[in-house]
Amino acid sequence: MSPRPPAGRDWYKDAVFYEVHVKAFADGNGDGIGDFAGLTARLDYLKDLGVDCLWILPMYASPLRDDGYDIADFYSVHPAYGTLADFQKFLDEAHARGLRVIADLVMNHTSDAHPWFQASRTDPASPYADYYVWSDTDRRYQEARVIFVDTEKSNWTFDPVRKAYYWHRFFGHQPDLNYDNPAVRAAMLDVMRFWLDRGLDGFRCDAVPYLIERDGTNCENLPETHAVLREFRRVIDREYGGDRVLLAEANQWPEDVRQYFGDGDEFHMAFHFPLMPRIYMAVRLEERLPIVDILTHTPAIPPSAQWCLFLRNHDELTLEMVTNEERAFMYYAYAQDPEMKLNLGIRRRLAPLLDNDRRRIELLQSLLLTLPGSPIVYYGDEIGMGDNVHLGDRAGVRTPMQWSPDRNAGFSTAEENTLYLPVITDPVHGYQTVNVAAQSRTPSSLLNTMKRLIAARRSSPAFGRGTMEFLRPRNQRILAYLRQHGRDTLLVVNNLASASQAVELDLRALAGCTPVEILGQTRFPPIRETPYVLSLGAHGYYWFSIERPDGADEPYGIERTAI
Amino acid sequence: MTDTAPALAPPPPELDRQLAALTPCEIVVGLPTYNNAATVPVIVAAVRAGLAAHFTGASAALVNVDAGSTDRTPELLAEAGMPCVLARHEAPSVERAAVPFHGVPGRDAALRSLFDVARRLQARVLVLLEADVTSVTEEWIERLVRAVWEAKADLVTPAYVRHRYEGTITNLLLAPLVRTLFGRRLRQPFGGTFAVSARLLSHALGHPVRPTTGRDLMDLWLTGTAIAEGFAVWEAWLGRRHVESRTRTTDLPTMLAQALGAVFAVMEQDEELWLGVAGSEPVSAVGDHAPPSATPATVSVDRMLGAFRRGLRDLIEIWELVLAPETLDGVLDLDARDVLTYRFPDRLWAQVVFDFALGHRYGVVHREHLLRSLVPLYLGRTAAFVAATQASDGAEAEAALERVGAAFEAEKPYLTERWR
Repeated sequence: MSPRPPAGRDWYKDAVFYEVHVKAFADGNGDGIGDFAGLTARLDYLKDLGVDCLWILPMYASPLRDDGYDIADFYSVHPAYGTLADFQKFLDEAHARGLRVIADLVMNHTSDAHPWFQASRTDPASPYADYYVWSDTDRRYQEARVIFVDTEKSNWTFDPVRKAYYWHRFFGHQPDLNYDNPAVRAAMLDVMRFWLDRGLDGFRCDAVPYLIERDGTNCENLPETHAVLREFRRVIDREYGGDRVLLAEANQWPEDVRQYFGDGDEFHMAFHFPLMPRIYMAVRLEERLPIVDILTHTPAIPPSAQWCLFLRNHDELTLEMVTNEERAFMYYAYAQDPEMKLNLGIRRRLAPLLDNDRRRIELLQSLLLTLPGSPIVYYGDEIGMGDNVHLGDRAGVRTPMQWSPDRNAGFSTAEENTLYLPVITDPVHGYQTVNVAAQSRTPSSLLNTMKRLIAARRSSPAFGRGTMEFLRPRNQRILAYLRQHGRDTLLVVNNLASASQAVELDLRALAGCTPVEILGQTRFPPIRETPYVLSLGAHGYYWFSIERPDGADEPYGIERTAI
Repeated sequence: MTDTAPALAPPPPELDRQLAALTPCEIVVGLPTYNNAATVPVIVAAVRAGLAAHFTGASAALVNVDAGSTDRTPELLAEAGMPCVLARHEAPSVERAAVPFHGVPGRDAALRSLFDVARRLQARVLVLLEADVTSVTEEWIERLVRAVWEAKADLVTPAYVRHRYEGTITNLLLAPLVRTLFGRRLRQPFGGTFAVSARLLSHALGHPVRPTTGRDLMDLWLTGTAIAEGFAVWEAWLGRRHVESRTRTTDLPTMLAQALGAVFAVMEQDEELWLGVAGSEPVSAVGDHAPPSATPATVSVDRMLGAFRRGLRDLIEIWELVLAPETLDGVLDLDARDVLTYRFPDRLWAQVVFDFALGHRYGVVHREHLLRSLVPLYLGRTAAFVAATQASDGAEAEAALERVGAAFEAEKPYLTERWR
């Protein structure tokens, strides 16, 4: 095991994350399915992109009825992805490059093929009998909503073997674990220890609001669930020194997600689900209100905690956390073809959602990288990959990474018809047009722009740690905000509109300072007491570092005796 | 050296008269000055006490070389109650307006005048003091002079008791570099104070005068020559060094450019002094060694890191010209966002400094720009040193500095292979 990157208790606050599916990234053995060998061989690409931490989707043994979120063995790697040794080599190679790795961990449920469930259903006397939530009736917990409304009618399924109903918040083949059972909690901690002992930097914990069920509740976000999660955090901090990270997937409103940070003693990070659709709304409406509104109503989080921001991920663009009216607008704006809808969401990738409009793609990436939180880039979105809405479920956004215009997009040497999913071939987003090789050689490509943006984000800790203060210019199409951390102040100005805009910003508090545009290192006119006028092209954006006039004279404390 | 430039210009007639009255004189105390009226009485008092207590009966004189003071500094010295020679040297007006970090405009010319006067006075020892270092005591005089007086040493350089965050340019840059170049572990190669024997004086004056470079090379050249030619070089532990100056620059880029520029210039002009040197050894010392003090200090790591990040942002185009690709990669990989995890490896630092030496030699960038563009890197390295030693005692801080020196030494082949 190679040394992990230098310990820093809150490294995640500055990190740019990259979400990658092992099967989708690179095929090392030519069987048509991506694997750890392929991913390892592509680590230099990720290092060069500038990301800090990889989040890999479930890589465990699984029947793959839910793309690995149905785990059949927490202690092994799915054979199609390689062996445990391949995983270890990947992890060590990532660490050697200064990259951290967190892995998905499905805590809420297992596959119905998991030996725990098989034992539980067949032998009521086995130690696993109470590992799952069994009931003689399907009338309990009626207040709990059905999440996968397109496929599931109930959260209960009758098992003819045990002759009882088992509880599942997701697919029927994914029985929920019974976290009221101490043995389940101990077993899950052992699972975490197994991977942390190998050097893993943390977990993205899937579906955490649903661990515990109680009558008369909606069975989400219960205090008992939080108690379990705090217990896990306590053990991991104690045994692993405090720099492993736990990231919560809790698709909830901010005030509910807030609870998952506890008093800094539960999750380190949590996704900000409601922000994401509002970014798309703001750009389509060409007004800042949706973003300002949701962030204004986002409660403060403990100092050690951090939001995780994303534009797209491996699931549908979820619209659970919007109002019915907003959802109707989003469907109208982004999913006019019914094929594009899935559950309460839209199964499309970033570039096609934005009509492959380079300016809008860049603008959204600018927002992702500058709003408060740690950004996650979904694999392929850095080159503007497309999707295939005609593939079932969410497979359309999980197609092979497009490396080159060669056969199978350079993803695999396998026969075309043996790929786990077909590569994207449409004329706009197809691999012949959109691929890493071509964009690497094009200085102005989206890929190279992403590298520059990510590198620029490194220039100040205020991006990851700064406070957030919205400016309120009269022009509603401009979203402008100040981020401050220590002596670093950033001014970010985004034009949400598809036409050029002028804006007058009230920057009197910074009078005498000079904005320096970070990407081009261009010094703008100094700020005075009068409104600061800027003009932005269609979907333009500025990242300014605010240079204080006294900056050069501030003493370091070593000058007088330096020689 | 192969230059055949003329030796020193003949001294003015009044200097001849002053010297005639004092020759021979065994101990010459040299004091270059520039507007030091406020502090020279303290210096002279320490000198008189030191000579009286430790060198009773020895003939001694003060030699003042003034750069054009307007505050009666030479007059004060003439009235100080000990034999005194007053000389002047030509200092560039620009250096009188912006006084270099060592406090003496035209220091090279001042030192050449002093050496000449000391030789004409037939001095056994020339001890050089700084006119604004007020912590000088009678023990300083004893420790500096004794080893030369007893013919054990030809050059005695100072070592001071300093706070661990004092002298960061010296400790992290100049001392490791000089150690690597000349093979001796001197703590203060730019200490400003030293003692030199008649033998070494004579040797130094035998070398022809070189055209001035606008930088003060004499201190370092004398040290390098003494080591290379087999003269005995010692170190004297003097205690704390307190400077009272209203004129010395405290502008970091200027200090660094002046001091490091001098090292780079000597490296170019006098390759024979250092190219063949490998390894290093400590020097003999008089006085009690003291580790750096570890009292709390108001040093801002955040500001230094901020300057380093601004350097990454603003100076990358210069660094691309100066640094080797692998060195630049190493610098770009430094993650200066979080002080808790931030490190600047010693080996990388050595390569950075050597790349700058090479860049200076080959003139890849205007030399003043090159030297000044090192400042954010130096601040980045200093921030890492402070961050790593904040919770340490003085001995641990000293051990950290020793590792820096060792890393420079280990990387010397990196420098020499590219130099040739």
